[in-house]
Amino acid sequence: MKKQGDIMEQIAISMEGLKVKFPNEKSFLFMDLSLTVKQGEKVLLVGPSGGGKSTLLKILAGIIPNSVEIPMKYTNSILPERYGYVFQDPDSQFCMPYADEEIAFVLENLQIPFQKMAELIPYYLDTVGLHLSDIHTKINQLSGGMKQRLAIASVLALQPDVLFLDEPTAMLDEEGTDQVWDSVMKIASDKTVIIVEHKIEQVYDFVDRIIMINTAGEIIADGEPYKMIEEHLDLFRKYGIWYPGVWKGLNKPSFQNQLSFNPAITITQLTGYKIKKEIIHIDTAHVTKGDWIAITGANGSGKSTLLQSLAKLIKTKGTVHYSFTQDIPFYRKVGFVFQNPELQFVTNTVYDELAFSLLNIPLSEQEKRQRISDHLAIFQLDHVKNIHPFQLSVGQMKRLSIAAITIMEPEILLLDEPTFGQDAANTFRMLDYFVSLHQKGTTILMVTHDQQISEHFATAEWTMDAGKLLTISTKRTCRVEGKQNVLGL
Amino acid sequence: MKNKLTLTDILVTVVIAVVFSVIYKIWGPLYNTLSIFGLHIDQLVYGMWFMAATVAFLIIRKPGVALLAELAAAQGEFLFGGQWGISLLLYGLVQGLGCELIFALFRYKNYQIFVLCLAAIGATIGSLWLDIYYGYITELVWWNLALLILFRTAGAIVITGFFAYYLVKALEKTGVTNLVRPVNETHYKALDEEAR
Amino acid sequence: MFLDFSNKSTWLNQVNPSFKLLLFVFLFVGLLFIDNIHFYLYFTIGLLIIYFLMTGFPIKWLLIFISPFFIIFLSSFISMALFGEGETLWYRFGMIHITQESFFRGIHLGLRGIIFGFLGLIFALTTKPVMFFYSTMQQYRLKPKLAYSFMAAIRLLPMVAEEVYVLKQALKVRGVIFPKGISGFYQRLKYYSVPILAQSIRRAHRIAIAMEAKQFDGNAKRTYYYQSGYSYHDIWFCLLLLGGIMICFFLQNNFTFLPVERVIN
Repeated sequence: MKKQGDIMEQIAISMEGLKVKFPNEKSFLFMDLSLTVKQGEKVLLVGPSGGGKSTLLKILAGIIPNSVEIPMKYTNSILPERYGYVFQDPDSQFCMPYADEEIAFVLENLQIPFQKMAELIPYYLDTVGLHLSDIHTKINQLSGGMKQRLAIASVLALQPDVLFLDEPTAMLDEEGTDQVWDSVMKIASDKTVIIVEHKIEQVYDFVDRIIMINTAGEIIADGEPYKMIEEHLDLFRKYGIWYPGVWKGLNKPSFQNQLSFNPAITITQLTGYKIKKEIIHIDTAHVTKGDWIAITGANGSGKSTLLQSLAKLIKTKGTVHYSFTQDIPFYRKVGFVFQNPELQFVTNTVYDELAFSLLNIPLSEQEKRQRISDHLAIFQLDHVKNIHPFQLSVGQMKRLSIAAITIMEPEILLLDEPTFGQDAANTFRMLDYFVSLHQKGTTILMVTHDQQISEHFATAEWTMDAGKLLTISTKRTCRVEGKQNVLGL
Repeated sequence: MKNKLTLTDILVTVVIAVVFSVIYKIWGPLYNTLSIFGLHIDQLVYGMWFMAATVAFLIIRKPGVALLAELAAAQGEFLFGGQWGISLLLYGLVQGLGCELIFALFRYKNYQIFVLCLAAIGATIGSLWLDIYYGYITELVWWNLALLILFRTAGAIVITGFFAYYLVKALEKTGVTNLVRPVNETHYKALDEEAR
Repeated sequence: MFLDFSNKSTWLNQVNPSFKLLLFVFLFVGLLFIDNIHFYLYFTIGLLIIYFLMTGFPIKWLLIFISPFFIIFLSSFISMALFGEGETLWYRFGMIHITQESFFRGIHLGLRGIIFGFLGLIFALTTKPVMFFYSTMQQYRLKPKLAYSFMAAIRLLPMVAEEVYVLKQALKVRGVIFPKGISGFYQRLKYYSVPILAQSIRRAHRIAIAMEAKQFDGNAKRTYYYQSGYSYHDIWFCLLLLGGIMICFFLQNNFTFLPVERVIN
């Protein structure tokens, strides 16, 4: 493992006796928290979702309370004068339309004369390894990883002593994640770096110290990375952190029941269009009842478009033949779960959201209530059932979006990156549920970036490339069998 | 200090306004189609063009927001090539002022539905005033003019008043409005009380 | 510009954007006080020439952009023509009474709608928003807070469009069917605008924080990446407008062919 040669013993950041309480919340987010970070130190903050890591990072940077007002107090503090802060969402941290203009925006803030900007802009882009053929490129056209690299380049222009990284890869795929950490390692050797992240595999070797915060906002462990993993593995698992080797040692599902050979979907000469442009074309493919198909492929290879074509959400040509057992509206037979859950909600509470799905289903009120409470329990949403869907945490929101579809008990379930951006605990919980659905005979088609899911769960993997179905590899001809909770959580 | 617009306030206002400017732009053809019938049916939907002001004010609740939102929405519609072109800017100004004055009368403290309806009327008066010069509305036969005023006011009260009010109510339930509402003293006191 | 034809550029793009806007606002106010129908006719022709020859867009696009003009004309024309005051009665049927005065006043209003539409389009097609806001900051002291808020908001629009698209699909997936009439209209308004606005507000909030984290102080002095100033293009543009107006006045006084000249008594 890599270690910083000599860490200067000077303090970069210090916070003593921090108390934070959100307006109208009953309990304190932080109650008497103290923390010191030395200059040049690389620190990783981990903990359960909703534990306030991101809030703490914003406090250490001074964003709270300077830009965001949250009631807080502390007895003593040393905060950095020059800092750079990279946020989670690549789409909401830029204010200008073009890459060069965004860096220029920072240079303008620092009142650097415009004559100098022409050389500084390419310099910063170059430093983070973002090589654009034209620096005047639209930010919208960059991939998520490139956007985050641009974000790093723009904060570098601030010449920061301390770099704060607030889950910079949470919304990125593997390639993007690698790009970001690659950039960080290039530029940060002489800087103090504080990172919040739950995908820690790539940064594990980079950091000197891991600090773990629990749900109550207390520091419960603090130490060198390898020691932390050694001593607190149970906590890493409990808090859903993607630590190196997280997949090992989990109970993998066993596949026993032979699949039937009844077709569920038969695709012939299917073309999918977006804004009159042909995006995908599939010659032939079929899905057997009880299949669990993982659709993989690079960004922009047409995975989501394929799923949308199957769900009849976009314009298509060719035929897709479904064999259904019931004669009910299409949306109840083929359930579709979007990648972004927020846009799927139509009511004001979690409970109503589930009830809405049952609106047109011929069940008695008693049966409906039963089904809703069952689903609230399965998806661990019972304690938030009266809350507005938009106020849920990211993980809860995702679970609700799935529950709202599966409560209709569709025969075929189409899932667009269901585990994307979720912590490990959430991911496993979700997979558990999909396994149970699969056992009951639901056919699942799932777009995923995660090779592990495809490996351990799918009956077949479809690989897409440039809008074509490149390979179909059969993994197993059996269905998952065995007791629930296969992942041992 | 509490009432000064922060960057967040301004950015949120402008974003709301720009979203509305797209709606405004789409609203144009609808309005035109209705106007072919002659009898001012189109005036019933006129109130849509005041909605950015009331919605933004209800969300941010600070002085200047209504005017800024309406101006920004008009500016947005203009920049996107809205069919009324240059006249949009002046209409945005008088309509925004109409709303702003009403909110100021209530010292920016009243967010009840009747205040919104008054703001709708304020914006209507603003737009009618400009129409005297722009549309020569005073040259219409009296009953026709009365019909125009009646329809525009009624539509504005429904859309700018009621719809805006319930829309923001629905938004409040999502919790997103808490992001822009100021924290008050009691929240700071809570830090001490329970910390004993 | 909203449609983003960034490569198309004519000398009108070189005119200082905020100066261009200022001239157009003067023009707007001035035109409100002109009630000579011949002037409007000739002025429309003048704008047509500028629109088709100087915006640098393919003719096909230009025709598409002005396709709603006929309806604009009609919508401004019809009420005034049918129900306007006037003395020389042409036709009467029930409540409708068309007089010579009201008819030409209607035409005048229709032309006015088209003229302002043209001015708006000419401005929009020859001005980049970013340049417009940079010039208002530099020449007219617009607060950076406002200017950058605008630029950030405009940047968000494609994302909003994408969200509307997904939302439409999502409502289909959830089996949402809208009732007809005003309640259906309100429901549609709610189902679409609540998530879109909520998401936009959240984004705006995050961007504002990010901007301040990048040391943006909306009031302080700053330097500018794009230098905006005046050039000889501005003089040409001024001369073009002034010349055009003079010619219109000349034609108005010497070449009249309609029975009515002024539409207001």
